[in-house]
Amino acid sequence: MKKVIVHPERCVGCMQCMLACAAAHSRSGTLLGALGEAPLPRSRIHVGVGAFDEGFPNRCRHCDPAPCMLACLPGAIYRDASSGTVLVDADRCINCASCAMACPYGVIRYHAVWDGPPEKIVAVKCDNCLARQAQGLVPACVEICKSGALTFEAPDRAARRRTDEVARSVSSGAICPPPAPGFALLAAHKRARAEVPAG
Amino acid sequence: MQYVIIGNGIAGVSAAEAIRRIDPDGPITMIGDETGPPYCRPMISMVLEGRIGPERLPVRGRDFYDRLGIMPVLGRRATAIDVDRRQVCIGERRCAYDRLLIAAGADPRPIRAEASNLGNIFFMRRREDVHGIHHALDAGVRRALVLGGGLVGFKAAYGLIQQGIPTTMLIGSAYPLSMQVDARAGAMIREALVARGLDVRVNLEVRAFDGNGAVRQAHLSDGSHLDCDLVVVGKGVLPARSFIPAERIAVDLGVVVDDHMQTCVPGVFAAGDVAQFVDIARQTPWVNAIWPEAVNTGRIAGFNMAGRPVACPGTLSRNVIRIFDLDVMTAGLVNPPEDGTCQILQAEDHRRRTYRKLVLRGGRLVGMAMVGRIEQGGVLTALIGSRTAVRGNPERLLDAHFNAGRLVS
Repeated sequence: MKKVIVHPERCVGCMQCMLACAAAHSRSGTLLGALGEAPLPRSRIHVGVGAFDEGFPNRCRHCDPAPCMLACLPGAIYRDASSGTVLVDADRCINCASCAMACPYGVIRYHAVWDGPPEKIVAVKCDNCLARQAQGLVPACVEICKSGALTFEAPDRAARRRTDEVARSVSSGAICPPPAPGFALLAAHKRARAEVPAG
Repeated sequence: MQYVIIGNGIAGVSAAEAIRRIDPDGPITMIGDETGPPYCRPMISMVLEGRIGPERLPVRGRDFYDRLGIMPVLGRRATAIDVDRRQVCIGERRCAYDRLLIAAGADPRPIRAEASNLGNIFFMRRREDVHGIHHALDAGVRRALVLGGGLVGFKAAYGLIQQGIPTTMLIGSAYPLSMQVDARAGAMIREALVARGLDVRVNLEVRAFDGNGAVRQAHLSDGSHLDCDLVVVGKGVLPARSFIPAERIAVDLGVVVDDHMQTCVPGVFAAGDVAQFVDIARQTPWVNAIWPEAVNTGRIAGFNMAGRPVACPGTLSRNVIRIFDLDVMTAGLVNPPEDGTCQILQAEDHRRRTYRKLVLRGGRLVGMAMVGRIEQGGVLTALIGSRTAVRGNPERLLDAHFNAGRLVS
């Protein structure tokens, strides 16, 4: 089964995934329509700024066992058996933030959602765009990502590719271009800017 | 393999579910003095508050015992454990076990005040307690008195003022939740409660109650008295260990367990509020009587009982509270000893009403408190729990824009 795989070294911090995610989880399903909606839809993927201003796309890992699910007081967090996706039942959620205390990645937010109980603040997190997937679409964050920081693929295939990359990089005499030369340069520039004192 | 679980709280429930993942057939007997399907204890204060109805409390369906093939013995308490014969006594009845889990939980700490058996004086531990408080409220309450500024006292007071009942809280320390938060966060919580009409009085205790059948008045340690027709006692809990043979099974404050949740008697395990293991942040024996640790230790005990060895690195004290528009999260050692071994970092933003405090020891995060913007507090809690060395300048963890990406770069 395909999953969203994050390649943080390729993230340029453009935050387009956040816009696409919010739009995909809006009533209208479009960015333009989403802007006028109440409650205003919000992203479930969170691009943070690393120590050197590099982007970091932070999204739910759908852990197993999921700490949020074990910590949930009313039993509102559950796992969709067919996809392994960890979901929140907005009607059962009591907004106690026990999941915020449990999530080691800090990817749960609290606000009202259009398809939840009206005006009730609930825990909101990535749902792997199951509704889009049911229509044959890839998750919105992956679809919009232009730098390849987010891909939708079978985990074993992605792992094999990464293993091959590592193997190539250590084989003696191999001429191996960095997998993403532009990104390496950008990262080096950001790091230098942060480390070299101003003036 | 024959399993007996004493307690049908979340530790016992989590253990039974873990056992069933490994052993689908071994008979499980579950002894619990609370009848009905397992329910969420921390949520009873929300029932008091009126935010949810009592029907929302169960965390498992009515078919829980049937579905897992558990033989429930409800409405009874275990009275003794016969370690030599491997039997649990429930009065005259005996239940044989190969693996025993003591998940008996904790009971409210009683108060030493005269006439504390008067009507309308309640603990707030069980579903029935809140039912009783509601019943008293329906009959009319002019002023309520809450004893204790811990989590239970705090939640009771919060629920009562949300119901519009004039409430006085008596606490022994200078601010509410002194075991959970530090002085700064405690002051913020106190301000929020006082602004909503709670009458907080510190360094006071009740010496005696007065009333004709039901409580009417409390006599305080400073010689004054206070009219009240409802009292909620929240002076903490004590592990329910009276039935445990202390000469056979090591008992300190709680039942002492090793990292596999096993007591000193092979085959006998303990988990949840009754168990005493090691606190990760303090690195000392500790009873962390909190819901998430009851789930965690119950689950680990269950796996070990069914024959799959799983070790637990320790338990971690932590809490998250949402009151009015104030969010508070704490974990680990929030008020460290002033012996110079800990580094304390703090940041406060008055305009946004946020506060953050980090406690570091030996390059590791051992405690944190945060008020406001708590969404990513789990990252810090996980850092404490995993005892990960903090790389680089720890001040960056104080930043309001902190995110998990800061830890990987």
